[in-house]
Amino acid sequence: MRRSRLLAALSLLLALAAPAAAQDRARTKEIVVGLGAEPRTMLGVTIVDWTTNTQLEHIYDRLLDRDPKTLKPKPMLATGWKVVNDTTWEFALRQGVRFHNGEPFTAHAVKATMDYLKDPANKTHYAAYWRQVKEVQVVNDHTVRFVTDGPWPGLIDRASLTDFLVLPPKALREQGPQKLAQHPIGTGPFRFVEWRRDDRLVLERNPDYWQGPADASRVTFRFIPEFSARMAALLSGEIDIMKDVPPHAVDAVERSGRARVRSTVSSRINYLALVNLKPGPMQDVRVRRAMNHAVDVDELIKQVLRGRATRMCGPLAPANVDYAPVECYPHDPARAQALFKEAGVDPSRLSLTLDTPSGRYPLDKDVSLAIAAQLQRLGIKVNVVVNEWGTHLDKIKNRATGDMFFLGWGPALFGQGTFEPLFQASQTYASYGNNKVVDEKIARAVKIVDEKGRAAAYAELQKLLRDEAPWVFLWQQHDLYGVASHVEWSPRADEKVWMYEAKIVAR
Amino acid sequence: MRAYFLSRLAQTAVVVFLSLTAVFAMVRLGGDPVLLFMPMDIQAKDVDEYRERLGFNDPLVVQYGRFVGAALRGDFGESLRYRSDALGLVLERLPATLLLASSAVLLTLLVAVPLGVACAVRRNRLVDHVGTAATVLGQAVPGFWLGLMLIYLFAVQLRWLPTGGMGGLAHLVMPSIVLAAFFSARIARLTRSAMLDALGEDYVLTARAKGLGEGRVISKHTLRNSAIPIVTLAGLEIGQLLGGAVITETIFAWPGLGRLTVQALLNRDFPVVLAAVFVTSVTYTLINLAVDLLYGWLDPRVRLRA
Amino acid sequence: MSLTAIVGVGLTLAVVVAAAAASWIAPSDPLRADFARSLQPPGSPGHPLGTDQLGRDLLARVLHGARLALFIGACTVLVTAAVGGILGLVAGFVERWPAAVLMRIADVQLSFPFILLAMTINAIVGLGLRNIILSLSAAGWVVYARVVRGEVLSVKERDYVQAAAALGVGRPRLLLRHVLPNVAPSIIVVASLQFSQFIVAEAAISFLGFGVQPPTPAWGSMLAESRDFLYVAWWLAAFPGAALALTALGVNLLGDWLRDTLDPKLRV
Repeated sequence: MRRSRLLAALSLLLALAAPAAAQDRARTKEIVVGLGAEPRTMLGVTIVDWTTNTQLEHIYDRLLDRDPKTLKPKPMLATGWKVVNDTTWEFALRQGVRFHNGEPFTAHAVKATMDYLKDPANKTHYAAYWRQVKEVQVVNDHTVRFVTDGPWPGLIDRASLTDFLVLPPKALREQGPQKLAQHPIGTGPFRFVEWRRDDRLVLERNPDYWQGPADASRVTFRFIPEFSARMAALLSGEIDIMKDVPPHAVDAVERSGRARVRSTVSSRINYLALVNLKPGPMQDVRVRRAMNHAVDVDELIKQVLRGRATRMCGPLAPANVDYAPVECYPHDPARAQALFKEAGVDPSRLSLTLDTPSGRYPLDKDVSLAIAAQLQRLGIKVNVVVNEWGTHLDKIKNRATGDMFFLGWGPALFGQGTFEPLFQASQTYASYGNNKVVDEKIARAVKIVDEKGRAAAYAELQKLLRDEAPWVFLWQQHDLYGVASHVEWSPRADEKVWMYEAKIVAR
Repeated sequence: MRAYFLSRLAQTAVVVFLSLTAVFAMVRLGGDPVLLFMPMDIQAKDVDEYRERLGFNDPLVVQYGRFVGAALRGDFGESLRYRSDALGLVLERLPATLLLASSAVLLTLLVAVPLGVACAVRRNRLVDHVGTAATVLGQAVPGFWLGLMLIYLFAVQLRWLPTGGMGGLAHLVMPSIVLAAFFSARIARLTRSAMLDALGEDYVLTARAKGLGEGRVISKHTLRNSAIPIVTLAGLEIGQLLGGAVITETIFAWPGLGRLTVQALLNRDFPVVLAAVFVTSVTYTLINLAVDLLYGWLDPRVRLRA
Repeated sequence: MSLTAIVGVGLTLAVVVAAAAASWIAPSDPLRADFARSLQPPGSPGHPLGTDQLGRDLLARVLHGARLALFIGACTVLVTAAVGGILGLVAGFVERWPAAVLMRIADVQLSFPFILLAMTINAIVGLGLRNIILSLSAAGWVVYARVVRGEVLSVKERDYVQAAAALGVGRPRLLLRHVLPNVAPSIIVVASLQFSQFIVAEAAISFLGFGVQPPTPAWGSMLAESRDFLYVAWWLAAFPGAALALTALGVNLLGDWLRDTLDPKLRV
């Protein structure tokens, strides 16, 4: 008799302590986003990290934004821009905007932000990105000029990413970076409430946001490192949004009735690098082209990724603003064999090593194993080495990988961000280089201010690199998000997860 | 007594210092951490500059000297990942792990010990067989598998409990069970065998002959005497709870020290790894010390030989 | 022999047989990928336990996983027993400062949770089968050293050993003929109990991402991979997990029985 009452009491206790159900959150217009890691800091333009910046973007605004459909830069805190001369850009700033602490947003905020990120004492990652900017001039309260040390048409692209989140100058001066890193202040659609380390970040709606208040009254980011626990949280209704639902789990999510899968073609690309930076079979362009003919990319997409990837045929993908179409390498084992023969290589005696990370990109390890299996059909022996992420990066940097490695890159929204770091031997993560023609063409292209001229130069580069076959060109990822049924939100190709764009519909 | 205490403390200091040195050497030799904290499209020269500024280019001995000097002041440096004080981060997480470990111990005391006693008292009957089966399984089933299965059943299918995170009592249930599983199984079995031994002793026979009720025989006499081997083993193993917490915290998104340590290892965040090693060693050793003292109190015959 | 002992011996034998005969019993090659047949449920034609995400047969992988599990268990146990045993013998026998230093090192290691230590080592030396054995051994030798040392210390005090020493019997001979036979049962018991711990530890380390890497079928990494498919293909977690649990169970029970017959006072 006593035991049953005890049991009842216990269940009641547990029920009381149970998490707020999804229906309650729909009524109060709260959204919970499940992320795999917590932010590394609350101060903008300090640390480059997707997870950190995704959360910071709710508190801070960028100087320019990107249009979700065309992915081209568009006004945000800056309403317009123009080129004054080869080394000067001028931005017109939005009026009537205030920071969360009441400070007005003016050109001084822009200057203070640039000064902060360039100051070596602050050790920000962004100093390197803005190296070409010599100074920021305040023309008047709502006009600001960026002076560069040479023509830099890519400046606009940089300014329209999270590489310039505007900081509050007065608060920065009075409180200092350390305090702001714990209690951030910005101009964004949400205000900081609390950050329980390793557990959650809670933000509330900023009613005075210049674009109009958000639909969501409260946004909570919960940090759940274990993927299956994140899935469980989505399926049980504890979280409303989750990134990177694997292709095979799509059905399970849809069947749960509590969430749907929303996908978008991402700007992030995956590729199989064919390393020509050290002696080996990959130094022969014919072998590299043969590899492109030997790997059946369509089969990989269909069988391993369940159709969730968009094939690309050159170094840039359509989501990239500097994209120009190039011819695809068709899957053609006969042609591959012929090319191998021409290069004097016998595939049945060929033994290659493929380095891959695990869990960093969708099904990266499985794709690598599948590629090995495909190459096996031609008799090529491939040894797949799975690396822990840090080791993978180390190996690439030290040129200690095998003949090939799998990697992703993104968001790859503009040409300079892809060409410069990946196709020059002096760069950390490049797998291909020592081609003087390519080096020179890249150096020239990034300086062309005239749009048409630049487009032509980039198109030429893409064709050249396609022929050089530095990679087996794979695909643009599809980003699959699990979204609760009562939340209306569409994912973006530039991977911006912005709850300002989300609407809650009561069921 | 005090001499013993002080000498143990000194030993603790030596042990902690040695573990820090060992981990320092291992982690420093393990590979370049800087890359992991830099964006991928950063220029090579910026990476080098950053490394230089953090002092990673200095010879190992110099780095070690700097580390020791700072550690003595309680300064383990700044986390490479978070840019905030490493020791501070670690200490922030410690209470959560201690909470989890404590509730696991509590669960063990409330469940495993009575189970062991029941098995001993009702030896070779149904209770004993079922109990033994449960404990043996408890030792064999891997903790993380148990955790995943529990989440699947209770959080996703039945929706009785939350999938993870820290919050109310409900959030503590599954993680405690998973953490306690192995430990409880061992304690239960040990309690059973210790009780069986004690029940066979002469004084029990005497007590029964005196006409004392079975309940008193068990609780007053045998349990008290069985406590010693139980406490010994519990003491040896309790530190392992800190290790088991690593997996439990990862699966249940519990914001504790174990999870922080794993992430720091994966991210090669040296300062945090070292600070975590320090705090873990000290905690572990302090727990052992406490157990030893408890042991001495329980069994006056075993006065502490220094 | 009690019921539990029979179960223990039976299970262990079953695992050994499965491991040895894996190539014959398995319906197909555990490494052969067949994308068209990925994620088939148990009971599908030709795949009694189903297939994994690359279309590889699960039964074959579980059986070959038994091989790896036994291999890992055996290697680690051998290495730790040898290293720990020798060190323990030396420490117990030669009671001067080497013994103290050794025991301090042992304390240092014990002041650190086993899993964390093994993981740290793996984070440094890298992943893979050889390194897992290395890290598990490095973390696990301590128990042997302590137990053996304890035994040696007590054996040394015995009359006949003292007598032999007084008669001038050389140290090595004393070790071999008198001490070692007395210590052997303890080592065997500890080894059998640690065997299952090592296998489960390997699984845990692989689970966290540090262990044996694909495509080698190891239960630990199979369980780690199955997390991604938990809601779609429960069999990828269930069968390797069950295999792991049953093996650990069998070896544990076997160890208990060995302890009961060989050395009942050893309550490790």
